[in-house]
Amino acid sequence: MDRPTPSSPTPRGPRRSRHWGDLIFAGLVGLGGAGVLVLVFAILGVLLYQSGLSFRAFGWQFVIGTQWDVRDNIYGVVPFVSGTLITSAIALVIGFPLAVGSAIFLTTQAPRWMRGPVGTVIELLAAIPSVVYGFWGLYVLGPYMRTNVEPALHRYLGWTGAFNGPATGTDILTAGVILAVMVIPTISAISRETLAAVPISQREAALSLGATNWETTRVAIVPYARSGIFGATILGLGRALGETMAVTMTIGNRDAVPTSFFSQGQTIASLIANELTNSNGPLQYSAIIEAGLILLFISLLVNVLARLLLWRVLRVTGGSTE
Amino acid sequence: MKFDRSARRKLWSHTMTVLAGLCALVALIPLGSVIYQAVLLGGPVLSLSFLTSNPPLPCTPSVGTSCAVGGIGSAIQGTLVLVGLAAAISVPIGLAAAIFAVEYRGRFLGLAISFTADVLTGVPSIIAGVFIYAYFVIYDPSIVFSALTGSLALSVIMVPIVTRTCEEALRTVPHSLREAALALGIPKWRTTLQIVLMTALPAVLTGILLSVMRASGEAAPLLFTAFGSRLGFQGFNNPINALPLLIYNFAESPYKNWIDLAWGAALILIILILIASVLSRLVVGRMVRRMRGG
Amino acid sequence: MKRQQSKAWMYVLVAVVVVVVIIVAAGYYAGWFKGSTTNSSGTCAPPSGGAIKGAGSTLVYPLMFQWESVYGGGTAVNYASVGSSAGITDITQKTVQFGASDAPLNHAQIAAAPGKVLTIPESAGGVVPIYNVAGVPTLNFNGSVLVQIYQGTINNWNSTPLQTLNPGVNLPNAAISVVYRADGSGTTFIWTSYLSLESSAWASSVGKGTMVMFPVGSGQAKNAGVAGYVQKTPDTIGYVDLNYALNGGVAFGKVLNPAGHYVLASVNNTASALKDANPTLPAGSGDWYNVSVLNAPGAGDYPITSLTYVFVYQDLSGVFGSSLTQTQAETLVDFLYWMVTTGQSYSAQLYYVPLPASIVGADETTIGSMTFGGSAVPNSCGSSV
Repeated sequence: MDRPTPSSPTPRGPRRSRHWGDLIFAGLVGLGGAGVLVLVFAILGVLLYQSGLSFRAFGWQFVIGTQWDVRDNIYGVVPFVSGTLITSAIALVIGFPLAVGSAIFLTTQAPRWMRGPVGTVIELLAAIPSVVYGFWGLYVLGPYMRTNVEPALHRYLGWTGAFNGPATGTDILTAGVILAVMVIPTISAISRETLAAVPISQREAALSLGATNWETTRVAIVPYARSGIFGATILGLGRALGETMAVTMTIGNRDAVPTSFFSQGQTIASLIANELTNSNGPLQYSAIIEAGLILLFISLLVNVLARLLLWRVLRVTGGSTE
Repeated sequence: MKFDRSARRKLWSHTMTVLAGLCALVALIPLGSVIYQAVLLGGPVLSLSFLTSNPPLPCTPSVGTSCAVGGIGSAIQGTLVLVGLAAAISVPIGLAAAIFAVEYRGRFLGLAISFTADVLTGVPSIIAGVFIYAYFVIYDPSIVFSALTGSLALSVIMVPIVTRTCEEALRTVPHSLREAALALGIPKWRTTLQIVLMTALPAVLTGILLSVMRASGEAAPLLFTAFGSRLGFQGFNNPINALPLLIYNFAESPYKNWIDLAWGAALILIILILIASVLSRLVVGRMVRRMRGG
Repeated sequence: MKRQQSKAWMYVLVAVVVVVVIIVAAGYYAGWFKGSTTNSSGTCAPPSGGAIKGAGSTLVYPLMFQWESVYGGGTAVNYASVGSSAGITDITQKTVQFGASDAPLNHAQIAAAPGKVLTIPESAGGVVPIYNVAGVPTLNFNGSVLVQIYQGTINNWNSTPLQTLNPGVNLPNAAISVVYRADGSGTTFIWTSYLSLESSAWASSVGKGTMVMFPVGSGQAKNAGVAGYVQKTPDTIGYVDLNYALNGGVAFGKVLNPAGHYVLASVNNTASALKDANPTLPAGSGDWYNVSVLNAPGAGDYPITSLTYVFVYQDLSGVFGSSLTQTQAETLVDFLYWMVTTGQSYSAQLYYVPLPASIVGADETTIGSMTFGGSAVPNSCGSSV
């Protein structure tokens, strides 16, 4: 599609000035480009350097340690990795069906006049700042979870053991639900994009065979967009993993491995927000930075995976992920 | 029998449509609830002086007393300064990177930049704060808590967004335009700046607007950098407040006047961001239509 | 067509920028963004252009907020309420000119500091057990019950020990939801120090510190976060400074003191506790780790009372080097003098204990020992006292 253009058509005008102008320009924009690449390595470098103390003290024990013991200065990251993964999993379990359901509705089922406006409004969910969701979680969602949702869950699902303990509305479940709200626009937007990219011929072929509207969607459209939806979900996961403010305000901030959905916990991001500048000493500070490094690795991994998937599907870009 | 079966299939189809529609409806509930809550609690405190005065002493009115309401003037000013400086840092870098990635594509480096920026947009925003804090604690502790570091942390978030959105904007410019310009003997740098960039300008501005929007809502990267302050801008080496930071600090407090202030600030932030968001979507929509229309 | 539209966009952009600049400039000249300057700052006049930063204790934040709003026209000091541990970290890493904490420096922290740290007690306050139980405006607690609640062994509001302490009070059958501080906190230090005094089991299993592993409960950030959470969440219990409970309108309980009385914290009985505990205070440059005014002996004394401290470096230029100007050093010293003298007049109205004259005198000696460039720091406040 694009052709490299150094060998452009025959020169007109002063050859030399054009040469220098182009060279300087290429240099300048190249510098900007290099800036983006350098940024990644700068972040990695600084975090690696600052986590050295903790790495030397604990080695790989840090990664499998389940204690975050400030008194004895022994730090393990499992409570936070588990908190991060569990809240993100809750977010996906709740958010994925809603996001994909609404994406399917808006691309294949909804009346045409509804598609644009409703789609835009769902994407507006992504524009609300994290801290505002946290505020909302504190005053609206948390109390609702405490008084309505959690007692019901305990009554009907208490036998599983996963819904035990006092219902406080300030726990990993509430944090997970907030995260679900926050990943819906991401997953929904990109799913819609991939669904919309399915060739019309697919749809027409199915309809001409007498399939109903839903059968067409299920048989001809969704399978075609499957890997794009998968990529979108991974991208949503990436967002959930690193969310800070809303989680910090609702998760209950407890440095321990959660034992139930009603347990208080801590994600890596909320650990950093709560304890980075509050550390009791250099070792704890370094351990928090190392936890941050692990978060960075996880989210880089997830994002690389999502991007590779989406680049293949959408050919050019993942589109509007903000 | 056959007729019956087809009716059942139709019914099933309609059921699923309704179900999918319900998904969309449920997905919209939180947005409605957030906005309702912000308007309900933040609306009453809005006034002109709310937008200009500084936060008051914490207090909860008891019988016979009242509390100073104060305002969020310093936080609004702080957000303007922080995001303004962050944009001044990140727009040139991001735009340059985007131009490189698009106009010098085909080289491995261009692809690498584009991919890196893409991945960087997914890096948690708090990591940006940790990065800037951890660096400046060693480099120059005296400015760790300052408007400067706050802006730098926001730039870390903005650069990849600017890069990606500008890249997409530049891609929408038809290649024929470039070729025509080059064929006329216009040097590449002028072609890029005066023709490609100008053609894509609305979308580029939209991209910048998107990154500004995102940055103005971020609290996490500012926790360890901008630090917060009662006062407005006091120089780049001094702490500064921001709307999201104010919301975080006041939202959790027990003081009536601070909570009111936080709801007011949340409402202002939501209004600003929704306006920007709708505006950018309208522009993008028009761009796309225009491009398709030829 | 396309060019025209681009131009239109440029106009819009330029217009927006111009409007914003005009508003900000107008606002700046109209004094929107200045601190309120209605209160006089006594006789002291800080040098201009030397704004300083402080950070730390959230316990003392309401008082600091008042101080920084009043002192020097309200623009000389910037204090961030980030928690006592952060205050200690920040002064150790030299990111602020003064740190504030309700916990004194421990030995490791003294050793880690890049210079001699001076400890200046600037106020005192009570830490109170706040709770949210519908229809129960007042409750009695004692040390042992508080320990058991925080250990999780008392986990229901109508459990026998609580009922025994509160005859006639209709306590609900509801699980107690314990709240503690998620960040490193001087208030936690005071609270856990008190629990450690009351129970050797607590002292050996959990201990005292700015951050400990509480056996049960959920963490909230800052005094404000704990108070705000307890205020809006039924069946919770937490601990905050008296100001947050009173000014935030959160119910708090009476605590049994060593003399055998249930005492509801107030400015008067925390002040008398400070007086009766009569701690022997080390020199400003000394080790303050074991200073305690908990469990004062007087009949009316509130038992969970503590001093709160500001930390500064003695040799300012030696520690900060060129990153601290002479003017900033003067502002810092001036502010400290003002804080322990004139500033004390704001304490009582915000439910903090005004420092007794003996501590003010000791503080002034400590502040007087601060140096910049090898000599004492000139200031307008110190000489006037």
